[in-house]
Amino acid sequence: MVRRFDDEEDDDVEEEEYEDEEEQLLDDEDYDLDEDVGRGRGGSSKKRGRSDFIDDLADEDDEEDEEDDDEVYGGGGGGGGRGGKRHKAPRDGSQFFDLEAQVDSDEEEEEDEGEDGFIVDSGADMPDEDVGRRMRRPLPLREDEQEDVEALERSIQARYARSSHAEYDEETTDVEQQALLPSVRDPKLWMVKCAIGRERETAVCLMQKYIDKGSELQIRSVIALDHLKNYIYIEADKEAHVREAIKGIRNIFGAKIMLVPIREMTDVLSVESKAIDLSRDTWVRMKIGTYKGDLAQVVDVDNVRQRVTVKLIPRIDLQALANKLEGREVAKKKAFVPPPRFMNVDEARELHIRVEHRRDPMSGDYFENIGGMLFKDGFLYKTVSMKSISAQNIKPTFDELEKFRTPSVKGEGEMVGLSTLFANRKKGHFMKGDAVIVVKGDLKNLKGWVEKVEEENVHIRPEMKGLPKTLAVNEKELCKYFEPGNHVKVVAGTKEGATGMVVKVEQHVLIILSDTTKEHIRVFADDVVESSEVTTGVTKIGDYELHDLVLLDNNSFGVIIRVEREAFQVLKGVPERPEVCLVKLREIKCKLEKKFDVQDRYRNTVSVKDVVRILEGSCKGKQGPVEHIYKGVLFVYDRHHLEHAGFICAKAGSCCVVGGARSNGNRNGDSLSRFGGFKTPPRVPPSPRRFSRGGPPFDSGGRHRGGRGGHDALVGTTVKIRQGPYKGYRGRVVDIKVDRNFVSDNVVISTPHRETSRYGMGSETPMRSARTPLHPYMTPMRDPGATPIHDGMRTPMRDRAWNPYAPMSPPRDNWEEGNPASWGTSPQYQPGSPPSRAYEAPTPGSGWASTPGGSYSEAGTPRDSGSAYGCNAPSPYMPSTPSGQPMTPSSGPYIPGTPGGQPMTPGTGGLDAMSPVIGPESEGPWFVPDILVNVHKSGDETLGVIQEVLPDGSCKVALGSSGSGDTVIAMPSEMEIIPPKKSDKIKIMGGSLRGLTGKLIGVDGTDGIVRIDDSLDVKILDLVILAKLP
Amino acid sequence: MGTAPAQIPTSFGHELRACLRCRLVKTYDQFRESGCDNCPFFKMDGDNERVVDCTTPNFNGMISVMDPARSWAARWLRVGRFVPGCYTLAVSEALPEDLQALCEEVHVQYVPPKRV
Repeated sequence: MVRRFDDEEDDDVEEEEYEDEEEQLLDDEDYDLDEDVGRGRGGSSKKRGRSDFIDDLADEDDEEDEEDDDEVYGGGGGGGGRGGKRHKAPRDGSQFFDLEAQVDSDEEEEEDEGEDGFIVDSGADMPDEDVGRRMRRPLPLREDEQEDVEALERSIQARYARSSHAEYDEETTDVEQQALLPSVRDPKLWMVKCAIGRERETAVCLMQKYIDKGSELQIRSVIALDHLKNYIYIEADKEAHVREAIKGIRNIFGAKIMLVPIREMTDVLSVESKAIDLSRDTWVRMKIGTYKGDLAQVVDVDNVRQRVTVKLIPRIDLQALANKLEGREVAKKKAFVPPPRFMNVDEARELHIRVEHRRDPMSGDYFENIGGMLFKDGFLYKTVSMKSISAQNIKPTFDELEKFRTPSVKGEGEMVGLSTLFANRKKGHFMKGDAVIVVKGDLKNLKGWVEKVEEENVHIRPEMKGLPKTLAVNEKELCKYFEPGNHVKVVAGTKEGATGMVVKVEQHVLIILSDTTKEHIRVFADDVVESSEVTTGVTKIGDYELHDLVLLDNNSFGVIIRVEREAFQVLKGVPERPEVCLVKLREIKCKLEKKFDVQDRYRNTVSVKDVVRILEGSCKGKQGPVEHIYKGVLFVYDRHHLEHAGFICAKAGSCCVVGGARSNGNRNGDSLSRFGGFKTPPRVPPSPRRFSRGGPPFDSGGRHRGGRGGHDALVGTTVKIRQGPYKGYRGRVVDIKVDRNFVSDNVVISTPHRETSRYGMGSETPMRSARTPLHPYMTPMRDPGATPIHDGMRTPMRDRAWNPYAPMSPPRDNWEEGNPASWGTSPQYQPGSPPSRAYEAPTPGSGWASTPGGSYSEAGTPRDSGSAYGCNAPSPYMPSTPSGQPMTPSSGPYIPGTPGGQPMTPGTGGLDAMSPVIGPESEGPWFVPDILVNVHKSGDETLGVIQEVLPDGSCKVALGSSGSGDTVIAMPSEMEIIPPKKSDKIKIMGGSLRGLTGKLIGVDGTDGIVRIDDSLDVKILDLVILAKLP
Repeated sequence: MGTAPAQIPTSFGHELRACLRCRLVKTYDQFRESGCDNCPFFKMDGDNERVVDCTTPNFNGMISVMDPARSWAARWLRVGRFVPGCYTLAVSEALPEDLQALCEEVHVQYVPPKRV
């Protein structure tokens, strides 16, 4: 900016003044006076001195300057002293521009800094003259012009009276462009390949060739388009002419000459004139360097030198700057781009960075000069080449504008932002009927409705009485207007596509309650149209989706809480305060999908999907399921939390699992039992969990969640063990290895492995004993109503399953529900006696018994099931397991108990395998009495009603749709459950509500909405566990 | 042909400027030294300020017109009546108003660039 000013000086200022100034300059500054004198050359020496003075900055200039000088003197010749000077004065300036610009394009950044530093010095030291000069300037200028005009008039009249007047006149007749459309008689356009970046040059070369060769060259024109690299067009009648013309032209290669179809000829020439409206306050974006992509605001434009001064939010690493200024070694490679932050002068001073407070001579504003950079109000003022900014189609986002306004006085900024927005409006922005408000001019704040839209003017019907029926208002003075309650759709900007209801109007900013996120979003009224449409908006960019946990560039992490058009809003994993940042796709390193478990304040294990309550911090009292866990930080989703899409980031230590024990240790009294409490889970959890999730064995459809969960369960187990309070108890980790080995069918080795480790700890016995009493406690937890199956599926509260104090334990519920009597009546340690009515289903007793011990080696053994069974050894539901099993620490129990060998168990469905309902061969549904089935027997297909489920898995079925016919025995494979439809009476075949009846009152995807008969509760259950009743 | 061609730009970089009226492209120095070949009434020669006012570095595309009278492209671009030379397809600025007035005085039409 300052520089620019100096240059203008060179251009504008009258001669006499110029000399004065020069003297002053020299006096005021002891600037190379000697050199100047040395260089002095007659009348123009002073000026020369000045230009030298400038040249000192950029040494490169000297030489060329000299040459140019000669040229000027030669050319300007007889003009005499004054003329020579005249020539000279502008010459210096112009020369300076060109060279300057050249230098800039080469070494942008460095040059900048150097220059800035220098110029501020000179500028700041002579502010007074500058101001004075500025005021003096216009006067001589006007005189000048007058003279010019008069002289011009005369000369031009003289000139054009005779010759070319007619020619121009003709030119001016406004021929319809249409009439100029190419015809077959016109020359054609040929496309020729040329060296990239040499398009213009080639065109000029051909022009030169034409001049040299005269009309030999039969081409008519050569066109080089800025936006088309690698090609030029040549206009000629014949291809041969083109060939002739390009012969010997260095930059044209490839003999291929392509004819442009006549219809496309006009397209070639229709270039949009780049309407560069770079003026003060225009929003632009930086194209290169540290600030690439950053929003900037134009402060000053120097059209002559193609430079712009912009205002930016600095990205300055103060520490690095301090190092640099102190001459310490600075890492050459910039590891990262510092985040944008307003410059804090005090901070800089703390780091012993020299901050100079100077007044800018031009604007009279004060700037802080830090290391050659100019700051004001925290903003960085930077002068860059016009080429390094893009001014086209800049649509600052709301957040960006907001940031930009932060430190300065609010209010005025809004209009500034708006004006840019208006400039980028699409055509047809306003439509008839739109409610609008006038934002500028005399009619400001007048509301009305659009009646008619013309090119630039919009006719509005004003709301106010006493005004003409319609008023024509320039569209730039209009802004759309909305009122709270309007349902709108965002049609531009980063939130494009979102819909919602206007809840508040703040001037030209609307606050919309988004339909998707139920969050407030702020948008410009101008970017919005009224619409009843409800859209979900974008929820995914690339691989990343809303609510994903992602690792960011700088090793921080966070959860995506909003997806904008090109960026994500990420709630960072900083528990102290909610920190949201806008991240571009490229700034995300990866998605974090691994599930960890952590411990809450009371050392309960927290896994993903556990419901926790936040005990401290700003979000104290909030509660919800844990969505992500990473590095001891929980992301809790509380749908009542209106910020950040309901996500709360909290330290695991400041949360408590809802329903979890306050403290296992205290309750259990001693560390040993606590030990047990903690130790057990890893082995136990998989079973309830899996079971609950899986539902009936045939439930392959309802397993979308279950599948992944099964895996998670295992991983969870791992982590829990590792992070347990008894870190020494590393046996757990080995446990996991065993699990893995199960997967690879390598049980023989692994099992002992596991055993050794466990027993190595010598903890086995107490653990077992600790478990025994647990079961009774579990019983009261059977609360079918309280635990909708979905929760059961999701909530992996494994430890609690074994924790006698856990008030609720969904996973277990499922078991218990299915087998209400089992806990009480059939102790788990009587494995030989299967609870016969437990499942009212084909009790797989025999099936299990028959499972060969070596079944692990069978292919397809799901590791889940392996571990599940292993863990579940003490479970009462393994009736067929040899009695010694649960108690015996030998590897034996695990083998027979493990249903891994069951061929039909799907990989992740280890849970299913748990279900004793299925024998090894029985794949059939989990039949319960009273339900309607389709019986295929001997080719016939008849409806029937199951009367009884026999122990071997087959069923006694009464044929007929109401069960009134003959009774037959049908194998599970011969029966098929009738899927219920809406309003059918149903019976629940699996899950915690097994055996209950109800009515299907709705279907939502794979879920059925069921009203339970007894309780009249409404439950959402997987459709596959619902069977139609007759 | 008859008409002598205009000066040919001596370089191809950013020092190129285009006359805001006729869209002739030359370097700044060329304009300053010998003015615009089509618009002598601007009297740019030697007048640094005038060159700045009458020309612009912001233009889009370039066309070397060898034979304006017989070139369709030149006619389409409305440079068919100008001297042969290098022109630009479009400039992005309008001539300052005082200079527009000057055009009027000398009975030369000035067509401001169409904004898109």
